[in-house]
Amino acid sequence: MKNTKIFITKACSIGFLLLLSFFSSFSQSKTITGKVTDSKDGSPVVGATVQPKGSKNGTSTGADGSFSITVASNVNTLVVTSVGFGRQEVSVSGTSAGTVSLVATNANLNEVVVVGYGTQRKKEVTSAITSVNAEQFNKGNINDVAQLLQGKVAGLSIARPGGNPNAGFEIRLRGLSTIGAGTQPLVVIDGQIGADLNSIDPNDIKSMDVLKDGSSAAIYGTRGSAGVIIVTTKTGSRGQSQVNYNGSVSVESSARLTKHMTAAEYRAFIKPSGIGSDTAAKGNDYGANTDWYKEISRNAISHQHNLSFSGGNEHTTYNASVNYRDAQGIAINTGFNQINGRLNLTHRALNDKLVFNTEISTTRKQAKLGFDQGFEYAAIYNPTSPVFAKTPGQDLAKGGYFEVSATEYSNPVAVLKQNTNNNTLKRLNFAGSAEYEIFKGLKFLIRYAQQSSGSYTTAYTPSTAFIDRGFYNGVTGVGRHGYSYKANDEAITQLYENTLTYQHKISKLDINAIAGYSYQDFKYEGLKLGAGNFVTDQDRENFSAAQDVQDGKANATSYKNGSKLVAFFGRVNLNWDNFAYISASLRREGSTQFGPTHKWGYFPAVSAGVDLQRFVQIPAVNTLKLRGSFGITGALPPGSGLSEFTFTSGQGYLINGQWIFTYGPNQNPNADLKWEKKAETDIGLDFTAFNNRLSGTIDWYTRKTSDLIFNVNVPSPPNLFSTATKNVGDLTGKGYEIALNYDVIKQKKLTWTTGINYTHNHVVLSRLDPSAGDYIGASNLGSPGQEATQITRTFAGAEIGAFYNAVYRGLSPTGKFLFEDASGKAVLADSFPYVKRVIGHGLPKFEMGWTNTFTYGNWDLNFFLRGSFGHSIINTERAFYENPSVASIYNVVKTKYWDPKLKDAQLFSNLYVEKGDFVKLDNATLGYNFNIKKGGKNGVRSIRAYFSGHNLFTITGYTGADPEVRYSDQIGSLIGTTSNILAPGIDRRTTWVLTRSFTLGLNLGF
Amino acid sequence: MKSKFLKISLVGGLLIAGLSCTKLDEAPYLYDKVTGDQFGKTDLEVSSLVGRAYSNLAGIGGNNHYNPLNEVTTDEEIVPTRGPDWGDGGHWVRLKLHTYKVDDPLPNNAWNFCYSGITTCNRLIATLTTLNTPTTLAYIPELRTLRAIYYFWLLDWFGNVPLSIDFNTTTPPANSTRKQVYDFVESELIATSPLLKKPTGIPDVATYGRMNYYVAQACLAKLYLNAELYTGAQQWDKCIAACNNIVNSGIFILTPNYVDNFVQNNQNSKESIWAIPFDHVKFTGFNMVMMTLSYLNQNTYNINAQPWNGFATTAEFYNSYIDPAQNPGPQGRVIGLSPKGDSVTGTLDKRAAANFLVGPQFSSAGARLSDDGADVTDPDGKPFTFTPYINELQPAAWRQSGARIGKWQFYLGETSDMDNDFAVFRYADILLTKAEATARKNSNWNDPVALALVNQIRVQHGGVDPFVSMTAATFLAERGRETFAEAWRRQDMIRFGTYNTAYGFHGADPADNLGPNNINHLNIFPIPAIQLNANKNLKQNPGY
Repeated sequence: MKNTKIFITKACSIGFLLLLSFFSSFSQSKTITGKVTDSKDGSPVVGATVQPKGSKNGTSTGADGSFSITVASNVNTLVVTSVGFGRQEVSVSGTSAGTVSLVATNANLNEVVVVGYGTQRKKEVTSAITSVNAEQFNKGNINDVAQLLQGKVAGLSIARPGGNPNAGFEIRLRGLSTIGAGTQPLVVIDGQIGADLNSIDPNDIKSMDVLKDGSSAAIYGTRGSAGVIIVTTKTGSRGQSQVNYNGSVSVESSARLTKHMTAAEYRAFIKPSGIGSDTAAKGNDYGANTDWYKEISRNAISHQHNLSFSGGNEHTTYNASVNYRDAQGIAINTGFNQINGRLNLTHRALNDKLVFNTEISTTRKQAKLGFDQGFEYAAIYNPTSPVFAKTPGQDLAKGGYFEVSATEYSNPVAVLKQNTNNNTLKRLNFAGSAEYEIFKGLKFLIRYAQQSSGSYTTAYTPSTAFIDRGFYNGVTGVGRHGYSYKANDEAITQLYENTLTYQHKISKLDINAIAGYSYQDFKYEGLKLGAGNFVTDQDRENFSAAQDVQDGKANATSYKNGSKLVAFFGRVNLNWDNFAYISASLRREGSTQFGPTHKWGYFPAVSAGVDLQRFVQIPAVNTLKLRGSFGITGALPPGSGLSEFTFTSGQGYLINGQWIFTYGPNQNPNADLKWEKKAETDIGLDFTAFNNRLSGTIDWYTRKTSDLIFNVNVPSPPNLFSTATKNVGDLTGKGYEIALNYDVIKQKKLTWTTGINYTHNHVVLSRLDPSAGDYIGASNLGSPGQEATQITRTFAGAEIGAFYNAVYRGLSPTGKFLFEDASGKAVLADSFPYVKRVIGHGLPKFEMGWTNTFTYGNWDLNFFLRGSFGHSIINTERAFYENPSVASIYNVVKTKYWDPKLKDAQLFSNLYVEKGDFVKLDNATLGYNFNIKKGGKNGVRSIRAYFSGHNLFTITGYTGADPEVRYSDQIGSLIGTTSNILAPGIDRRTTWVLTRSFTLGLNLGF
Repeated sequence: MKSKFLKISLVGGLLIAGLSCTKLDEAPYLYDKVTGDQFGKTDLEVSSLVGRAYSNLAGIGGNNHYNPLNEVTTDEEIVPTRGPDWGDGGHWVRLKLHTYKVDDPLPNNAWNFCYSGITTCNRLIATLTTLNTPTTLAYIPELRTLRAIYYFWLLDWFGNVPLSIDFNTTTPPANSTRKQVYDFVESELIATSPLLKKPTGIPDVATYGRMNYYVAQACLAKLYLNAELYTGAQQWDKCIAACNNIVNSGIFILTPNYVDNFVQNNQNSKESIWAIPFDHVKFTGFNMVMMTLSYLNQNTYNINAQPWNGFATTAEFYNSYIDPAQNPGPQGRVIGLSPKGDSVTGTLDKRAAANFLVGPQFSSAGARLSDDGADVTDPDGKPFTFTPYINELQPAAWRQSGARIGKWQFYLGETSDMDNDFAVFRYADILLTKAEATARKNSNWNDPVALALVNQIRVQHGGVDPFVSMTAATFLAERGRETFAEAWRRQDMIRFGTYNTAYGFHGADPADNLGPNNINHLNIFPIPAIQLNANKNLKQNPGY
């Protein structure tokens, strides 16, 4: 990627030189020398263009930022430009220009944008692409790459409710583009398609480019429907040897909890004469006063260190880095440590005609996942229970902890302290490419990349633990003399690509073309084992010591599957005189995962842009580019073999006195399974105004995904199974995005830049094949006691993400639920038919991010607010535990909605649906750049220290711990949780509480 | 020149190498699956195929359809809402109250269970016909019988279900009438009966767990017993004939010990006509231990999981064993019906001790269990005691309330999947069926044949005094005592007209004659909404 970028920059300057050499005149000349540096840290700017004002003749700066230019003797002003920096004019008297300091800018249209299989200058971009470079990333306590972008890109939603350091972020671009697999954008890291975003350390990233519309993503064909995030990692530059150290330490603590009764409140409530209690006590008072949240949580300390070396000579450049992270979770016994190493190496040979590129990165992450139920139970564990048993009857599992037998109820301290749930993740990424310039303008590139990851999970619940659900393989109760679980999962992806690029200029027309072939192979395999009944807990790691293995009670499963993608693609970009731009691409891609006659699909795209400034000069407007694009992208099915008539083994049966494994179909095969395709039209406007102080982008789009692949109900009979994976309908989405940036104050000492982005999207299941019924996407409230309680539904013709159930209308005089019937009347819930309606939506109507950056001398201050509006949340903590009847065992969730008069069984209604609107001060960072004496003995080039706060405040009416948007329903709490993307907005009980953290960091440059 | 040629051929070669790989056959990627059309080549593979039609039956042992639909809707079983447990949107309560809704889960589970079995039979009949070897063809009568039994269950639960009998028909079928389904079941059983193996002794290893002649006859007996409900026409003679085909074989005998039919290793029970051969490793799914026992009982039997504390019996039904008026016989100390469950003097029917788990509970080491989470209002307090008394159906039934279903004997070191085999058709039931058909045919509950059959069971299994005379009500009560929890009660109560009356926590159903043959529409379940949604050719049952 880097090579092409350099190539294009170079080609452009050469182009300029050739074009403009006509204007050069012969006259007396002089030679001016100088140096160009970055205003931020004084580092040299390599490759900056230096031209005499009014002339197009020029030169470039060398590796140390210095230049020497011969100009006519009457020239006394030089113009210095460079990608990513503002244009600078320098007056020259004599032959020295001194040091020219360039200020980095985001609005510069010469900035290079990374697109699929190449780069473009920003002004040439004709589709919706947002670039975010390292300076703009979120700062502070960052352990996940997705966090860097959270709230920064209009249209890109990134969320992780709760503060579990081992939980991933959900990423959505422009809402849902599919209802099947692949709802998260495709990630491309330095050309490696389908890479894992977290296979790189956040410190190693130079920039991320988000391809938002169908046209820009279409070159990636089958997997581009949910958008593409292209990550470019840091590389070395010629001649400049640098060592950088970044380190930080963070303290994290809980910021918002689920509201529940204190021991005193609970005691008062269960007293026979207490509030809401008629004649009898409602629960047990065990005599203690325990704050369970306090017992299970802590001030979590995390630190991270990044050391990188980069540099190079004429032929070879390198960037090597080592990252170490140690993060504690706020729950006791949780967290992870991770070490990551990365090397980017570029070697040029044959007069730069042949460029080799190698990237190797490896990660080992050791995580203590803990048990998410810790937070669920902390909210509802009887606050009068002591942590440790006071009587033998309370010492249920003989582990010393207080325990009571009940459903989904275990001492949260014991859960986190007694049981282990660890995961080791190993990743190895390797990529190599060679590019050869066959003749001028024509280059051939061959690339091979391999990404492999292995995950090893080890969990144990000892003989002295009491656990009710939430452990692997459904282990419950008093430990079965210990139970050990291990899982080993491996994934390997191999990519082989050839591309041929061609660049040519005919008169005012710049032609840029690429053609390529791509082959990608995926394999996944794994083994899971679970067994209990050990003589001693010490032998937990040794399955041969588990009696269950001998007794046939062990669980052992394994799997292996895979698929292959083959594609041909091509693209032509045309630039007419830097004024009108056209791009067209086509990808023909085939996958093994479809029916025999439906394997191949075509994914075309076309886009165009024009600089309107060439037609009309609008006062104060500097640039105004109108662009439009259309593109078709695809989505793969959720798994392999869906079109095949396959058998799997099942339970045995007695046949003639012998147990024989039975075999039969595992699915209704669908030989007609074909590509799901999304067609998207995007119209956008890029502008800068007021001397480039205001810059902005507005995008409007409309998209339709047809032939949605989904597992729907089918009639059985005649089908073998009651569900089948079929192409069943259409999804339409509409939305707009606005991003504005304004330099409010731009003085020498003081600057203030403010930026805002706004996202709105609306996704409708516009058509559902009648054979699939009237609705899909139900989600169940769950155990205990609320099974068969469906709370979401997606209807044909309606918006995705509806909550569906009864409408609460108050309580009867006897404390029974009143729900609404078909005529809108309030009726008793248990004896009259009430109706279910749509009672909320889980997806936001709009989302916003607002960033502010101030610099004052050496100081800089950055704060970032993020908000989502118009979404509702199902507060399941309340739905399960706010009913006073639970007090017989559980503590009672007590929010403003709590009503002691309620005397009815648990029944779900919109009583438990709340508005989720929120604004969070996501991040505030105060930094100081120390003045460094140039050429100091110690070699220190730069020192920066910063202090950063994360989640400093949250404004919301939501009563649960975290009002963050749940883009999908995460069911289960261990590795292997399933998610239902059609059921957004459900705040599950196992979600961690919201956390706040403070970070102190130091960046050193040598 | 030479180097240029080399370069071009290198580039060209690489391109061609890449481009040539465009094969997208999926078969090489199906590592952990078997290609369906390749399966069935050996005898072992054929029996493995046939086994799939049976392995579906594991569902009978759980709480998803078979037991709760046939039992919780009656006076025999109850799943009270115990505070936060077993509320589940009210569907357990609705079973008890007969207010089941079209989107309740259990009827849908039952539908899927039956049709999953039926479509598997259809598929296998087609496959085995195509394979066309003596071995494969020999399985076909067996599969037809099994399919008929699945239809018998559907006929009983839903009445007007679609008859899908041909694997090659792909249009979603419309409903058939209850009569049409009945006719199909009858004709299939009659046609296949003579083609099935006829065991000459019990146990019969060759057919254990599978269809044989007597299984087909037992199903016919049950079909005819309820024929009037299904079709409007009585079939007492046919019912008696089918029973006699079993009785006269002489290979089944009434076990001297009632519990022998239900113990952990009951596979040799001489009463077992068709049992599902559950095993905690090889054939899992019989979860009664989890469904009925309370959390702390994990310690009683050293179970490897914590039970769910759900299913129980009602105090009234429990009382039908201990009340000397209902059930005359030797008297003794049994657990009484008061909230505290103090012991009282009552009939010592051996079947009460066999069928229920009641009273103080102990650990496997013999220590009295103490329940620190006991409901404060429960008069038993922390000493852990099951009492037949249940304070309320919902929302806050005490967690220790209700006598538990101990019929399939629990044993030490049990897992959540019991080893006890579940007899769908049991000899004692066939004797009671014959007795009832005889009494009804002669319109005389004191018919000597009927009375003798009932008393044989009473004396031998219950150890109680024989009836001197019988009424419909005493016969039904006796039937209940014998076949408790064996999933026949719903059918029985409907036949005796008591299903819609008030009992236990169930108030009388509103009278209507919306159902087929003018019976109450509640006597068949609604066709599940999800099925109507998936198959537009289906029509809802009347009254829903």
